[in-house]
Amino acid sequence: MDSLRIEATSCSPLIDFDPAAGLLRIEGESYPENSFDFYAPVFGWLEEYLKAPAPAVVLDIGLSYLNTSSIKCMIDVLEMLDGAHQNGQTVSVRWHYDSDNDRALDMAEEFAEDVSLPFEILAH
Amino acid sequence: MKGNELFNLQELLSRQKLLICFSGPFSHSVIEELGKAVRNHLENERIEKSAIMDVFSVYVEQAQNVRNYTASREALGRPIPANSGIVVIGKEGDHYVVSSGNLVEADDVPGLSAMLEKLRGLDKAGLKAVYKEQSRKPREPGASGAGLGLIDMARKATRPLEYSLRAVDDAYFFFSLEVQL
Repeated sequence: MDSLRIEATSCSPLIDFDPAAGLLRIEGESYPENSFDFYAPVFGWLEEYLKAPAPAVVLDIGLSYLNTSSIKCMIDVLEMLDGAHQNGQTVSVRWHYDSDNDRALDMAEEFAEDVSLPFEILAH
Repeated sequence: MKGNELFNLQELLSRQKLLICFSGPFSHSVIEELGKAVRNHLENERIEKSAIMDVFSVYVEQAQNVRNYTASREALGRPIPANSGIVVIGKEGDHYVVSSGNLVEADDVPGLSAMLEKLRGLDKAGLKAVYKEQSRKPREPGASGAGLGLIDMARKATRPLEYSLRAVDDAYFFFSLEVQL
């Protein structure tokens, strides 16, 4: 399967998914003009990938700001990964946040509440 | 605009301890550029990062709501007359206040006021429950948002959302929303 890479802009994050290594990275800020259009290729790629993923998959998220429609998209991404976890695959999330910003911590904790997969929250 | 009108407008705006005011057609690039300006300004004020992000995020939700609503009416073949959106960020005492106003179709008024009244009656725990419920709903086909914007603003606000809906003519109301942080 091909890797997926979408370069960051000032209002949309870097998407860098390496299928062989099982390393998925989303980093930056997310308030694009249309979040659902922006994340559509991410959903499509994950759906395909999670049928036969690497032995261990880690999603590294370093999002310092998300608007509400991006939050909805991220919930959907996490649900897809959580489904794979519940099917016995090794999937985990590492959420990176800036320790100056307690809003970012609150947000990470809320995302973690709704999933059962291993979810680490790391301050930087 | 005539000089005395501009003077009156500027005087009215400066009384609000204004950071920014934008009125006109909202494009994504306008939203982004104004957002950057607001953040730069607040960073120079040396206020906490979480407070900067609260102002910025309420501004983005309001501006994107205005833009998405306008675009959705255009897509339905019912463009809103006189591109009417406005967003204002000001300061009242120690609190930043983010406000927006735009024309909405009369048919949307009952749903909008029911939603706002519901949110106004909820405490922090109630707002979180409504937010979680809405965030788990499947997205409505063709919707530009997730239906979370108003709930998110209510959660960040330090007092219940203030709003008004004023009839402009038979077809439109002017909707204003004020969020105190």
